[in-house]
Amino acid sequence: MTILDWISQEYIPQLLDSFLNPQKRVSIYYLALAASIALCWSFFVARRGLRNSFKHTRFYLFSRNIWFSRSALADYKILLANHALLILIAPFFISKLLVATVLFFALQDLIPAGGAILSNVSPLSVAIGYTLFLFLLDDFSRFATHFALHRIPALWAFHKIHHSAETLSPLTVYRTHPVEAIIFSFRSIAVQSISISLVVFLFGSSVDLISVYGVNAILFVFNVTGSNLRHSHIQIRYGRRIERFLISPAQHQIHHSLDPRHHDRNFGAALAIWDWMAGSLYIARRNMKLDFGLTKNQTAQTHLLSSLYLSPFYEVFKSIRMAITRHNPSNRSAKKHAI
Amino acid sequence: MRKLVIAGVIATAAPLMAAPAAADDSVYGQFPVTLKSWLGTEENSVAYTGQIARQILHDSLKKLAGKGNGKPNSALKAEMLLYYEGKGKDRKIIAPSSKGPFVVKQKTVGEISNPNLSGKTYKGAVSGMPNNMTGPELIKFWIGKASSANKGVDTANGYNYPQLISKFILGAVFYHQAVDNYLDEKMTAKNKPNNKPYKKGKHYTGKEHSWDEAFGYFGFPAHGLKLSPAQLYDIAKRKPAGAGYADADGDGKVDLYDEMVFGPAYYAAGSDKSKKTNYAQTIGRAFIDGRKLIASADGNALTDAQRAQLMKYARTIETAWEQTLAEATFKYAGSCFKDLKAIKANPSDAKAVAKYIKHWGELKGFSLAMQTGRKNLGETATRLNRLIGFGPVMPNSSQVTDIDSAGNYVKGQSSGINEYMGHMLKVQKLIVDKFDVKARKNDQLSGMADMLKKLGSGSAAEND
Repeated sequence: MTILDWISQEYIPQLLDSFLNPQKRVSIYYLALAASIALCWSFFVARRGLRNSFKHTRFYLFSRNIWFSRSALADYKILLANHALLILIAPFFISKLLVATVLFFALQDLIPAGGAILSNVSPLSVAIGYTLFLFLLDDFSRFATHFALHRIPALWAFHKIHHSAETLSPLTVYRTHPVEAIIFSFRSIAVQSISISLVVFLFGSSVDLISVYGVNAILFVFNVTGSNLRHSHIQIRYGRRIERFLISPAQHQIHHSLDPRHHDRNFGAALAIWDWMAGSLYIARRNMKLDFGLTKNQTAQTHLLSSLYLSPFYEVFKSIRMAITRHNPSNRSAKKHAI
Repeated sequence: MRKLVIAGVIATAAPLMAAPAAADDSVYGQFPVTLKSWLGTEENSVAYTGQIARQILHDSLKKLAGKGNGKPNSALKAEMLLYYEGKGKDRKIIAPSSKGPFVVKQKTVGEISNPNLSGKTYKGAVSGMPNNMTGPELIKFWIGKASSANKGVDTANGYNYPQLISKFILGAVFYHQAVDNYLDEKMTAKNKPNNKPYKKGKHYTGKEHSWDEAFGYFGFPAHGLKLSPAQLYDIAKRKPAGAGYADADGDGKVDLYDEMVFGPAYYAAGSDKSKKTNYAQTIGRAFIDGRKLIASADGNALTDAQRAQLMKYARTIETAWEQTLAEATFKYAGSCFKDLKAIKANPSDAKAVAKYIKHWGELKGFSLAMQTGRKNLGETATRLNRLIGFGPVMPNSSQVTDIDSAGNYVKGQSSGINEYMGHMLKVQKLIVDKFDVKARKNDQLSGMADMLKKLGSGSAAEND
């Protein structure tokens, strides 16, 4: 297969699939819905009137300043490069089916009498249970992974790439370092393997997922209710009560905020309960003035592809070297002598 | 001009002349008599009558095993033993019999040959059943039990004797004799050489006849390579269309000797119907190619190179044949899992229990059959036997754990249906891991693959 064949037969079709497949968050259907929601929010909730609502939505959603900013251009470059990289390394990922099979038989060995113990439960109840369980496990694992990406310095070095975005668009979701993309792929493998092996073990057969257009029905609701606005400048709040349970777009924008009060807050994807339990929940307020990025006045250097890809490795390497130096007594005594 | 006409005629005639040769290439038919010392008039050295007669004995014995009325029946037992270890030219062909337009040519076993099954049964100890019985001892034990069981089924202990006897014989006689004897021991340089008759007075050589006997045990029609898996299946099931597919000589009758599909080939075709495997054609082709190679030696002892090539064909046959048995074991483990699920939902459903007992008999029979080949399956066999057990776990969780000295079953309390269902899945996994089966009918774990497929890659690499 030549490079041209690969581009035409694998790269481009899979890239287009990201925008046409309803299983992907940034599919054009959800993007169109997100724009409509932004407009409705402006008109019905913010009560800006029809003309001002269109103006406001156009400014905060479709402005050239957002889509052609140096930050957004870096998003696109990362999206295109990561896409190629992930296609190339995907065959080396461990098979989900293999992991699911190993887990399934581990359960058989661990709880021999528990196999198919729920086989008499009605198919509808099973489907509801499976859909809910999968959603909860998926959402929790996103929270936990995200939490770890912020709290573990070596991981933060990679996740910083995402937070270096100064303007937010739905495509910012793909502004990730390849290492982080791999971490999220492993998360997905773990979640799917665990839930499927457990469900097949307990119910003794495959189970139907309640889905819409091939997407978990609950996740579908999340997607059609404007998940893409999380990475945007449209501040949609759900109100104090709901935001304890569901993460609103405004809450995720707080997560990206430069304000130190907002740091390490709102790690959740769809549900806010995990943040609530972990003490990292931050409720959105009306008309917040939010700036995004890692620091004020980031340089153009921050958005260079080479810098975005390589700086985390350098940072991790530097901290390892420092840690070794700090803990090596011979180095310490050498320094002492030098003084 | 004249030269041109001659060249044209030759060019036209050449493919026509070649056509019969090409057709013969897919038929295990006539191979010349190559034995140099033979002075007779025979023109065909192919002969596997004894093996086909054993296929018929097996089919008939299976039919007889289901004829009991639930009370001890010494006459039935004696009749079954006649088909298993007896001799007698007048033994009627009980199965396969004529069925509508599917007219069977022969009426008695003796019209083909007059052998027995017991003499060719695997003599090793069968470790998958209690008391280390040898193959013939186990079959005779089951024959005794079958004769006093209602339609051959013991619903209390969970044994379907026609299935147990039949499936075990598919391995312990046919597979065992073919791969462990004729395609192994009799393929050595010293044993049954190709420059001597198989037996004194025979017109075929040692190697020719050894190869033919192995072919006969596969139960494949001579023209089987011309038939699709579905057509082979129709013949074995004696369907009206099957008569047409089988009747290669067009005499309106199915000659059991070379036109019928018997057990081993039937199960190969059964897997092949899935279009994921090609066992019947692979085995059939290797048999024909091997036979052609032997014929090409023209009655001389095979060279080392010829024998090495022949052994390659033999191993092809052995591997694919073992896989057909493994596929069947896999399939029936899946059936048992499904049956147990149905029984759990409705423990008083007698039909579901009967189905389970039948499928378990097939599972057990095939799993034991796999252990009678040339190779010692070692740990795989031990695991298979432990997972399947000596008997099925019944709806009340009881299971046969032993057979006492008087031949009575000893039962114990198993750890329950749920755990046994897990065992069935482990059997399927073991078969996949060890035998690389592809058809995988009744795959109970395929559901996981389907579920994963449905989830797709999703938003695998999306972060927040």
